[in-house]
Amino acid sequence: MIRFRIFTAFWVLAFIAVSCTEDVPEIPLGEFEKGVLIINEGAFGANDGEVYHYDPVSGDIKNDIFESKNGRPFAGLIQDLLEADGKMYLVANTGKVEIVDPKDFASLGAVDTDLNISRSIAIANQKLYISDYGPYDENFNSPNSYVAVVNGLNGGAVSKKIPVPSQPEGLIVAGNFLYVACSAAEKLQVISLATDAVISSEDVEGTPAKLKVIDGRLYLFARDAGNIYFHEINRNNFNIQNTIKIPLANATSNFAIGEGGDAYVITSTGWPDYNDAVAKVSMNSASVVNPSLYTGSGLYGIGFHPVSKEIYIGDNNGWQGNGTVIVINGSGQTVKTIDAGRGPSGFVFK
Amino acid sequence: MVYIFHSTLLWMTDSIHYQKVDRDSAILQVYPMLGQYQVPCTESDTVQLPEVEIFTPALDKYTIGQHVQVISEKELEPFQGLALAEYLQQRTGLFLRQYGPGMLASLTMRGTSAGHNAVFWNGLPINSPSLGQADFSILPVGGFDQVAVHFGSGGALYGTDAIGGAIHLNSKPKFGGGHQVQVASLIGSFGRWNQQVQYGYSNEKFSSRSRFYRNFSRNDFPFRNLSKMGTPVEFQENAQVEQWGVMQDLAWNLNSKNQISTAVWWNKTDRQIQPVIGSNTNDTQQDQNLRWVLDYFHFGKNKIWNTKTGLVKDELIFNIKAINKTTQYFIATDLDWDIHPKWKSKSGIRHTYITGDLDTYQVSESRLELYQSNNFHPNEKLSFSVNLRQLIYERNWAPFTPSLGGEWNVWKNKTQSFLLKTSFARSFKVPTLNDRFWVPGGNPDLESEKSWSGEIGLKHVIVKNNFNFEQQITHFRMSVDNWIIWLPNGSFWSPQNIRKVNNSGLEYFLDVTQQFGEWKLGLSGNYAWNQAINQTNISENDRSKGKQLPYTPEHKLQSMFLVEKGVISSFLNTQRVGERFVATDNASKLNPYQLWDVGVNYQWTLGGKVSGNFGAQINNLFNTDYQVLRLRAMPGRNFQFNLNITI
Repeated sequence: MIRFRIFTAFWVLAFIAVSCTEDVPEIPLGEFEKGVLIINEGAFGANDGEVYHYDPVSGDIKNDIFESKNGRPFAGLIQDLLEADGKMYLVANTGKVEIVDPKDFASLGAVDTDLNISRSIAIANQKLYISDYGPYDENFNSPNSYVAVVNGLNGGAVSKKIPVPSQPEGLIVAGNFLYVACSAAEKLQVISLATDAVISSEDVEGTPAKLKVIDGRLYLFARDAGNIYFHEINRNNFNIQNTIKIPLANATSNFAIGEGGDAYVITSTGWPDYNDAVAKVSMNSASVVNPSLYTGSGLYGIGFHPVSKEIYIGDNNGWQGNGTVIVINGSGQTVKTIDAGRGPSGFVFK
Repeated sequence: MVYIFHSTLLWMTDSIHYQKVDRDSAILQVYPMLGQYQVPCTESDTVQLPEVEIFTPALDKYTIGQHVQVISEKELEPFQGLALAEYLQQRTGLFLRQYGPGMLASLTMRGTSAGHNAVFWNGLPINSPSLGQADFSILPVGGFDQVAVHFGSGGALYGTDAIGGAIHLNSKPKFGGGHQVQVASLIGSFGRWNQQVQYGYSNEKFSSRSRFYRNFSRNDFPFRNLSKMGTPVEFQENAQVEQWGVMQDLAWNLNSKNQISTAVWWNKTDRQIQPVIGSNTNDTQQDQNLRWVLDYFHFGKNKIWNTKTGLVKDELIFNIKAINKTTQYFIATDLDWDIHPKWKSKSGIRHTYITGDLDTYQVSESRLELYQSNNFHPNEKLSFSVNLRQLIYERNWAPFTPSLGGEWNVWKNKTQSFLLKTSFARSFKVPTLNDRFWVPGGNPDLESEKSWSGEIGLKHVIVKNNFNFEQQITHFRMSVDNWIIWLPNGSFWSPQNIRKVNNSGLEYFLDVTQQFGEWKLGLSGNYAWNQAINQTNISENDRSKGKQLPYTPEHKLQSMFLVEKGVISSFLNTQRVGERFVATDNASKLNPYQLWDVGVNYQWTLGGKVSGNFGAQINNLFNTDYQVLRLRAMPGRNFQFNLNITI
């Protein structure tokens, strides 16, 4: 699933700073440097992942901004999106990473060879680190998962593959280390950025999905049938020093961090009722505040707008066509809906 | 022997009425001529033997008011060993959703879905009972001799699936042909090599024909990889197709009143599955299909009694692990009775037993259907047919399907005629086995999909000296309800009877030939305008209502110009496919495309005993970059050569 790790506060402050400093010549913002980027994952077998841009002020939506700028379709399923070092990295689980200019989405480079089922990306020391399931075996297991290393921020060839336990998902760089959430193996893996070698491997409770820094603390998000877990990682010994276990059933790996220790998690009951919901949970009290802040079916991506405090929910509309973004307020009431692309799965607020 | 049989037979005997069916398609209703063969009149200069086709019931006898288009063996010849999908896409107004050359190809007729057309081989329905549709990429030309396309609803005539129409694949073996060896080869770009060998022997009482074929394509055509920076031209990987097949036909004339015929067709296709552009999958699929049919015909006075039995066995293996097997056993009997010169009737019953051993479930099912067809010709100008059918499957009653058709010869003189046609029909589709039983998600409570349709058409024919002109226009309207779609239900998908679709459109057919001495010019054309408008939103935020169904082009035009002089002929063919929406909300679409093909054919004989033809063809003449479905690469300009030898 998509992680959005944009330092919104930084951008807001930067914007205010630029706006308020009259002496500094005004540099026009790029087309997509403010507003909301809607990540549409795309449908399996169709490779129609794309990014839409939404301007909350005017209400304007720009479709397919990758294809519009580059004259070719993205042609993949977007699994992750990361903005770093003035570049935006779009990870396709069809085995490629596209690198674009965040201002206008003009293509800058790509990693399009030697990857299999790429999931997520992190940047450190002028290198790209890409988690990848590796090829499936005949039972659709992933015994040859790896983290691919690419020298250079504009993509190019994979220089090294670091083997990791099965099905690595989220990645994060903290200090001089790369943390990897290996979902099928249910392990947390730590790679030294100095040597590009695994230095720690630890079993975790639940299926780990993503890593996030929340209020300065490094958390690993995991889930099982009855609970979600925020495992806090000790950055000195790589151990899990504390676990916030919240009894939320049927959680998916899609969640957004709100304010004051709140998080919003998409749940899905599956058969026979197949009701989806957005649950509000509190990390501070390790409890479910509201199991159904919003209910629907086909709920897929979720994001928390740090300025408007609204919650953006992607509805895949049964995958029959394009999806819809439903914007709700903190009480769960629908504020507006936005026509999105195929399978809206995540958001970047700028 | 080269088959020299087409549409010019007209004869009578004591007990049986032999006639040319003077209707749309000229599918011959030829009865056996035991012991008193006549040489059919033909302009061909090939050696003629007194051949007589083995009896097959006239397909269009009870289809009054509708259009049946017949594709002859000669028309299929240049497509030797290629998928039927290729022929239908290139040479008709029908549109097939093709996932690449040689890959899954499903047919949409009159704007309905892939499972909304019935496919028959020698009268047996061959749509997969688990998938509810046929893959037209694994029906190679060579597995049958003739194709008939029935446009429009045919539920009362054919049973389940025939909502948009039906396709009939028929073998046409003959009596009285002597020994015959036929070798056919087709070589083409991207490693294409098709080979077929046939041996046949027939006398007046007995007929046997054996055929073996192997078709192969590396399918490594160049394409523009749109998923990569700079869109480099790369060669398609993981798209190889290999196919083998064996066919055997046998027929006996027991005496002047009884005939037995049987046919077996085994086909195996071993394919790599061409990935969507941007993916690097290495999927493979093996399909094995065994079909067997046995017919017994008893020819009484004004009556033909037919008993048919057979089986259709399908095996689909995806990526070695997922094995899906189904078998359908059929037994049917019907009586076709010319009660009176003005009244004809056919009554029948068919029992089908289906077993399925699928990747995630096992099931068996019985189906029983009763059908009744009636023709009434009150005078020379008018004819009507009424068809009825009721199918019951496992205590479920499928919708009762009546149909009514009429034709009126509005005006006719020595050279011209106008025929007005109309038809109203109900059709249905029993939910597939996967729809009902797939684990997880199968929904046993699904109801049959059902449709109402009506059409009106005008056929205009001019026959004057060396000029033949035939055109036909049909307008149809249809409403399909209870349409089944699979929707995500939590962690898996499950089907529901949720969609309603209104279809309407036009079909136009043109066929013109003109002879000037040795020169013969021909022009044919097909145009289809299909509107298929979704009437339902599946959820509050769905934006599908009022929109055209995905991958259903509103317009398709196909036309072919033919020039023939003696033994040499050449053609120029074009197809234009209009824009296709990618999804139900019509938010994105694929551009229209037009392709041109050109070819030449030379017929030769050697020493009077050996004859054949040689053909060369350029497909996609202008190297047009196109996609039938989004991000499914298709080949650019390519070449093919075919050689047929008959001894």
